[in-house]
Amino acid sequence: MTQASRIKNLTASVAHIDISPPRLEWMGHSMQWGTRVKKGEHGLRLGDLNVGIYGEIPEHWEDQTRRPRGAADLPGMPPLPYHLRSKHQVWADSAADLYEEAIQHRWIPATDIPWNDLSPLSEEVERAVCQVLTELMQAANAELECITYWQEQMSYGYHEVKQFLAVAALTCARHIDAFRKRCLANGGGLGLESRGRMNRAVLESRGGWTEAVVYVYLLRGFYIQAQYRFLLAHAHNAAEREIFANCLADHARHMTYALDHLKYAINQRDGQRAIIQTLLSIGERTLAREIQEPVQRSALAIVFGGGVEGGRQEGTARWLALVRSSIREYLNACEWLGVKRNIIHRDLNALLPLDEQLKPPEQG
Amino acid sequence: MAVFPSVEWFNAVRERYNADETLHTGGGGPCEAKAALCIGDNIYLLEFDGFECAEVREIGRDNIDQTDFCLDMPMSEWIDMINNVQENGAADLHHTLSTIDLELEDGLARAPGDDQYKRDLFYRYNQNFQDFFDASAGVATTIANLD
Repeated sequence: MTQASRIKNLTASVAHIDISPPRLEWMGHSMQWGTRVKKGEHGLRLGDLNVGIYGEIPEHWEDQTRRPRGAADLPGMPPLPYHLRSKHQVWADSAADLYEEAIQHRWIPATDIPWNDLSPLSEEVERAVCQVLTELMQAANAELECITYWQEQMSYGYHEVKQFLAVAALTCARHIDAFRKRCLANGGGLGLESRGRMNRAVLESRGGWTEAVVYVYLLRGFYIQAQYRFLLAHAHNAAEREIFANCLADHARHMTYALDHLKYAINQRDGQRAIIQTLLSIGERTLAREIQEPVQRSALAIVFGGGVEGGRQEGTARWLALVRSSIREYLNACEWLGVKRNIIHRDLNALLPLDEQLKPPEQG
Repeated sequence: MAVFPSVEWFNAVRERYNADETLHTGGGGPCEAKAALCIGDNIYLLEFDGFECAEVREIGRDNIDQTDFCLDMPMSEWIDMINNVQENGAADLHHTLSTIDLELEDGLARAPGDDQYKRDLFYRYNQNFQDFFDASAGVATTIANLD
């Protein structure tokens, strides 16, 4: 039976049904019609669409529905639990660009990593690599869960942020995937579960997204970033090199959003600066304890030292360089944000060289 | 044969980098950054725009503030890195920008005014910058006589 005869038969079979004429009132509902955004040199990017009313980003978004920003509202829609409806709670100017960057810098652990370049390592080094990655896998998992918990509460008024964080969650999943594959592809396996002090702090941070960002990124982010940098420098083969270079770039993107958001929140909301200082004072102790955890510390030292023996001196010195580098980056970022730390938790301070340690202000 | 460092040498690398499509996928996707390279007394600006390095030019020290970050290391380190790329076809693990950044006491990358946002660009696009320098393996190179 041809398509034409099939339609003819169908029409005949419903001829007795009284079909009311179509109501096309919906066609008149648009907040702004006739928009023609042109693609630029680098394509039609998310940020390019912010023209006319579509580019009006409100300070507060009253709507608790899924109505896209710029769409006409349908009266009577029941509210949904979108609790983050103020710009200062989520916003970063860079979010749209970071979203584009994230989806264009995609990589696929299954096929983009030269897995055939893996070669056997000594058992102690293989065990150390797998232990480090087991820990990093859990950190990525905590980051993912934290993002998704808050992302679903963000209103559609700030869709750029929602979209960037959706991709950031996918990126975390990709890291977990790549680390797991590395652990299981070279004769080793997963290591010991992490105590997860900072993971717990991250996941138990329920005060707001901004407060979670302080823990996930400002406080712990530089420590994770430093691990990627040092693991990249100590990669054993092209596969590890590719993994850590990609993770470093991905993580830096998350850090950019985080710092951009914190700067915005601090500038827009009275008292935010003091809140962040308080959170850092509480969180630094947890971070210091996590850094000092003997499992990850010794596993990193063995990787950097090329074995247990090399890990005792050279590897431990490299581990300390990693930790110091991350603390310096943390302190610089705090100062850049306008939340300069005049004093940090003593356990964190003790990890810095003597001449860099922060001294408590003298009592007057 | 192009002489390192010179605008001609960087342009030769730029052409190779832009033409090699395998460098513009995955982690080497689009890049928007202005990187200054402090090499001896000269400062070169590499402007990355999308999938290519759009421009290379020499700039004065006063213009560093208009860049996103500056890669600064002693001339001998630059030459060592370039020679390593020439010998191996790509930097070995001791000569990547990331490793050099860790090894130098003050680091390799510095953002004007310690702007954290700009400094992150060095990490965000680390593969693009590494790919760029690795592309120099295909450029017949002479090192400038420094005496």
